[in-house]
Amino acid sequence: MFRRYITYIFFAVLFAACTSAPEDAVKVNKTPKIYPDYVDVTIPVDIAPMDFCIGSSTDDEPREMYVMAKGSKGGEIIGKGEYADFDIDEWHELTRQNRGGDIIFTVYAESAPSSSKWIQYKDFRMHVSNYKLDDYGVTYRRIPPGYEVGGNIGIYQRDIHSFDETAMLTESAVVGQCFNCHTPNRTDPRQFTAQVRGEGGGTLIQINGKQEWIDTKTDSTKAAGSYAYWHPDGRYVAYAANSVHQSFFTGTKKPIEVYHKFSNIIVYDTRTHELLLDPALETPGSLEIFPAFSADGKTLYYSTSDACDVPREYLKVKCSVCAIGFDAKTGKFGSKVDTLLNGKKDNMSYVQVRPSYDGRWMIYVRCSRSNFPIVQPDADLWIMDMKTHQVREMKEINSRRTESYHNWSSNSRWLVFSSKRDDGMYTKLYFTCIGNDGRGTKPFLLPQRNPRKYYMEMFDAYNVPDFTKTKVEFDSHEAIRKIKDQKRTTVKIR
Amino acid sequence: MNKAKTKYLSAGVEVLFVVAIYLFWAIVYPHLLSYQEQNQLFLFSSDYFIHDISVAGGLADYISEFIVQFFYLPWLGAILLAGVYLAMQTLSWSVLKQRNCRLAFLYSFILPLLTLYFMGFIQFTMSYPVALCMALLMAWLSGKKSMIPDIVVIPLLYWTIGPLVWTYTLLRFVAKGWRYSPFVLVTLGSQLAAYYFLLPQYPLSEAMGGINYLQTPNLFVPGMQIGMAVILPLVIFSHQIFKNMRFPVVVIVAMLGIWLTTDSEVRGSIYDKSTFELLRQDYLIRNEKWNDIIANAEKFTVNTPFWSNSVNLALAQTGQLADRQFSFYQSGPNALVMASIRDNTSDFPSMEAFFRLGMVNSSLRYAHDLQESIVSGRKSGWLTKRIAECMIINGQYNPAIKHLNLLKKTIFYRAWACEAETLIQAGNDKSSIQQREKRINAHQVYGKLRRFRLKEDFLYNYGEMDKMFGLLFSGNVKNKMALDYFVAQVLLNGNMQLLQGALQCAQQYGGYYGMPAGYMDAVKCIQAKGDLPGSPYADYVARMRNQ
Repeated sequence: MFRRYITYIFFAVLFAACTSAPEDAVKVNKTPKIYPDYVDVTIPVDIAPMDFCIGSSTDDEPREMYVMAKGSKGGEIIGKGEYADFDIDEWHELTRQNRGGDIIFTVYAESAPSSSKWIQYKDFRMHVSNYKLDDYGVTYRRIPPGYEVGGNIGIYQRDIHSFDETAMLTESAVVGQCFNCHTPNRTDPRQFTAQVRGEGGGTLIQINGKQEWIDTKTDSTKAAGSYAYWHPDGRYVAYAANSVHQSFFTGTKKPIEVYHKFSNIIVYDTRTHELLLDPALETPGSLEIFPAFSADGKTLYYSTSDACDVPREYLKVKCSVCAIGFDAKTGKFGSKVDTLLNGKKDNMSYVQVRPSYDGRWMIYVRCSRSNFPIVQPDADLWIMDMKTHQVREMKEINSRRTESYHNWSSNSRWLVFSSKRDDGMYTKLYFTCIGNDGRGTKPFLLPQRNPRKYYMEMFDAYNVPDFTKTKVEFDSHEAIRKIKDQKRTTVKIR
Repeated sequence: MNKAKTKYLSAGVEVLFVVAIYLFWAIVYPHLLSYQEQNQLFLFSSDYFIHDISVAGGLADYISEFIVQFFYLPWLGAILLAGVYLAMQTLSWSVLKQRNCRLAFLYSFILPLLTLYFMGFIQFTMSYPVALCMALLMAWLSGKKSMIPDIVVIPLLYWTIGPLVWTYTLLRFVAKGWRYSPFVLVTLGSQLAAYYFLLPQYPLSEAMGGINYLQTPNLFVPGMQIGMAVILPLVIFSHQIFKNMRFPVVVIVAMLGIWLTTDSEVRGSIYDKSTFELLRQDYLIRNEKWNDIIANAEKFTVNTPFWSNSVNLALAQTGQLADRQFSFYQSGPNALVMASIRDNTSDFPSMEAFFRLGMVNSSLRYAHDLQESIVSGRKSGWLTKRIAECMIINGQYNPAIKHLNLLKKTIFYRAWACEAETLIQAGNDKSSIQQREKRINAHQVYGKLRRFRLKEDFLYNYGEMDKMFGLLFSGNVKNKMALDYFVAQVLLNGNMQLLQGALQCAQQYGGYYGMPAGYMDAVKCIQAKGDLPGSPYADYVARMRNQ
């Protein structure tokens, strides 16, 4: 009997020892250097656990941690080990309890790998936004960053409330082909388009689970469509029909320059299988690219630049943002083209406009040149107030490296964008909350379980991110069959 | 007495067979083993194991990749390979004896011989023979035991070895008879169920024919993928039907059938001489055996740019390019470096040339594209190492560390990766960053290539290779290889305007006592307006004119 009690006490003490904060930790008056840098970020309720490690992204030997996450409005959870490993359900509950408040992190860590001495850092906070992020997650393409050969490309979707990532279409399904530009209609994947290039390629339009493969190349359109953007009513999709090329630098500052030899904008009517063309959108001597419809669908925005002798004149590629009216009932364009941002005048290039779905803001990319900003180190995100048309650089979310390819959440409160801020080479996804004043909160990296290990072993860049309201239902087997059989719906010009 | 004699005779034959296999792969064709190794990167990590076994046939893939990593040392790879062949022969023999097949010992060499044949096809992977051995092993272990567990065994075996589960099913069929027929449906059902539920990113053809049996997915070689899977059960079955058959008629017919159903293009490429030579050059480049490349080139020419690139690189590394360039086949203006081709082999000599020249960005680009051209999606140890080196030279330390971390999980690249990591380690303070730069700048290779790198940043233009080499040389006149390549490219292009200046550079900076024989020949040929019998340069010019 006595032995049994001793055993119980032993295990109780052992259990307590395992779950309590390290004693005798030396307090230091600085916040910990953590990877990813989640200090003072703003997160939505129910986001996946914001696991982090002590140290930098390239530290070889991990340091054990013990982290207490306490809500300003209540609740406390523990994460410990080589990284702050929070239980998903406990974490979600904590964020829900503290919506509009803060989560305060008390971090204890070994002073050095495998050391018996511990440090207690100064507390830091994450803020839990009042604005929800109810979208299921994000879709993106993963592609090795680089040069001419795409390699092991894949389109994936990730549940942002957990760590689940599933493949939608990968290179094993369509060997040797390139595919991208998967685009839902304002985060709604019930309408979805993507493009596959190479033998058997085509443009996929999926509406309510039914796949249709079309060939947008005609006598009047020089190439298949890419860089898609849906009209809000879901009937039309705008594409840029273009040819994209790469050249490479010999020095060390930049590896690659990407340019287009031609580009025109076409709008596809999914109901009648017709292409809508307009002289303003296929001007000889200009390249029109990156279309985007306004929130009400009455305006089509796009970037345009004078044709140059690329690659020789790659420095001269300066894009302006223009707007042309669009009547969804008749499928006709307006007669007037307005210039919202004049790249030639400013000696800058403005591309990839993304109006928020509530019509309040427009975020775009500004760089010194080019109509393919992801390879420009100086590419930054700018924002236009759609009421006043005032613009400003989003310094609060930009870095010294490339920021590009961004999209809004369905409630127009959250933004996902690509950035090379981490190591200058591998594009990763960041999230920020856009407030009523158009200011973004400190961006946070897409959370991962054991983030240092995950990102260290990730040899792909993330690009073309977009929110998805619900899980994308995509039959990859059917896509494989359709790509193979090469039957394509023929389109007509209206 | 007869039994003992037979036993020793059999053992003797097996030993001879294994030794012959070893000698073939270690001495005659080690470069094919090297080629296999450079198209994968086996990692000692749980993530890698889980990644492999997450597709049908994954366990066989994992084991084969484990074996192939040792092809890094071809002599060691040949030993392991001989072991695989021996296992296949022994298991075949055991299975045949178990099923009372006459001439079992003779027939036990069918599969190893077919494996030897198909290994000459460069698309062949070790996954196939490993999976075949596993199927044979399971068939032997199952013997004539109860069929019931096969309801579970067959689906599991499919997932671990892939469609070669059919070898198991058919061997069990010939052991158990017609009452085993329902398990044929179990086998088919397992494949279809796996395709539907577990393999959303693979076409039906791969679920049925194998995902990683060949380097290129979706490639189908019926003679191999079907023929080798069914030949042993077919032989056993035929002996059951024709009990008095003494002559291996069925075997001969089956082997002929396998050969005939193999696509003629595939057949033509198996052990073909040109592929053999090009892979040998690839292997020799990798091991920096420049004199061997030249010696082989003196005996056999392959009229391809790859061959020219390799030979010219070897000549440059041994200081012979100026003298002997046109004594060897020159494919044209692309004889020094090729415009990038999107496959996993062609750009290797060009990548190596760029690296040694100091055109680090170009070497990095070619290395990257070579790696991404491995259609199975695997990484390559050699290429990962080269990419890391380029990044170190370029000062891209964080991405370099990613690649080094990968290589630290291997046997053969680990030591180098640890050394490289020590070289580039630095804290955040200015002093340790400066120390790092000092270390790299003092490195025999990396420091030299940093000094050789192009100083100006401009867009690479393949059509102006001569000017790029010229600029490279003018940026650092100690870059003798750049000088050699500059003059060589001018001669290949036939650019007479640049030639005089190029030759002057060679005279001033080449360190030659007299004009190199190759340049002298070119000058004489130009003076004779191409009419100079016996001139290697004149032959080249005439050939280019005819093209």
